[in-house]
Amino acid sequence: MKLSDLSALFGFEAVFPAEGTTAIVDAYTSDLLSDVMAKAAEGSVLITIQAHKNTIAVASLIGIRAIVICNERAVPDDMVAAAKDEAIAIYRTTKTQFEVSGLLYRELRG
Amino acid sequence: MLVACDFHNHSCLSPCGSLEQSPAVLARLARERGLELVALTDHNSALNAPAFAECARGEGIQALFGMEATSAEEVHVLCLFSELRAALDFSEFIAGHLPRLPYDPARLGDQVVVDAQENVLDLPDTYLCAALDLGFDRLCEAAAVRGALVIPAHIDRPMFGAISQLGFLPDGPFSAVEAVRPLSASAARGFTVITGSDAHYPEHIARRPFGLELPEGWNSGIHVDLEIIRQALQAGRVRLPFGS
Repeated sequence: MKLSDLSALFGFEAVFPAEGTTAIVDAYTSDLLSDVMAKAAEGSVLITIQAHKNTIAVASLIGIRAIVICNERAVPDDMVAAAKDEAIAIYRTTKTQFEVSGLLYRELRG
Repeated sequence: MLVACDFHNHSCLSPCGSLEQSPAVLARLARERGLELVALTDHNSALNAPAFAECARGEGIQALFGMEATSAEEVHVLCLFSELRAALDFSEFIAGHLPRLPYDPARLGDQVVVDAQENVLDLPDTYLCAALDLGFDRLCEAAAVRGALVIPAHIDRPMFGAISQLGFLPDGPFSAVEAVRPLSASAARGFTVITGSDAHYPEHIARRPFGLELPEGWNSGIHVDLEIIRQALQAGRVRLPFGS
């Protein structure tokens, strides 16, 4: 699966698309950044509602390629600016974390 | 007498804190901007408290020492002591509950322990903003049993506050709760509301102080009498820069 599939396959809104051909190998669903730091794998998509720039700092540290913000949460400008600096994609969806996890699980493991 | 207080300030030890904000700079700017009782509350550590104690004495301001601890649920809690030794003992206890997470100073910020003259003493390589392996209730209890003022930080912020992380403010051994905007009495659940600068950069220092009504002689001892502070907070003898 590649980054651009997040909008092409699932229709997530591309808030900041980054490099579309980057390979995605895994996903992690969490709203506690300390948990993401401890457990998420490099090359993952992070599925979360934590829409703030600290999420980008953690994603950058771990090697997370994209963040899917669920439940239609607003993405603040400083988060987008940080994402641009780190070349991490941000997608946004009205779907819940359960639904997004299901979709990505099917695609990555199914 | 109304005393100008600010119980929420970081130094260069906090990774999100400016490298320019040494304890010396914090003490000096606090004094210049009219603060009288100032706490140093770095993330999960009081290692810069000795330097802050010396600098505060030099500047003629009163100090509290402690930290902004992060519970397992990522709720931030201010834990304040008036005696340096108590703060350092608590800091050592907390260090035992801090997970060793990957820490890249280039990405997450520098963490610098300094002395009063800004000489570098240590560069901790455990990420200080990590969540402790202590849940909120256990963290607050551990601080309270050691005599700290326990003050949930910025409970009204969209992240790292009790309400954002837990959905509500639980009951607890709190002397007060900290908010950054006017907060309803129901959200504060009857606890006294204070505010704080959460100063990470020199320009933040004294941006959001509060007034605490204290008896004459509150600052005449070798160190501040924490019980006098605790009583004034719990009795609600507080004046906020914004309305309630």
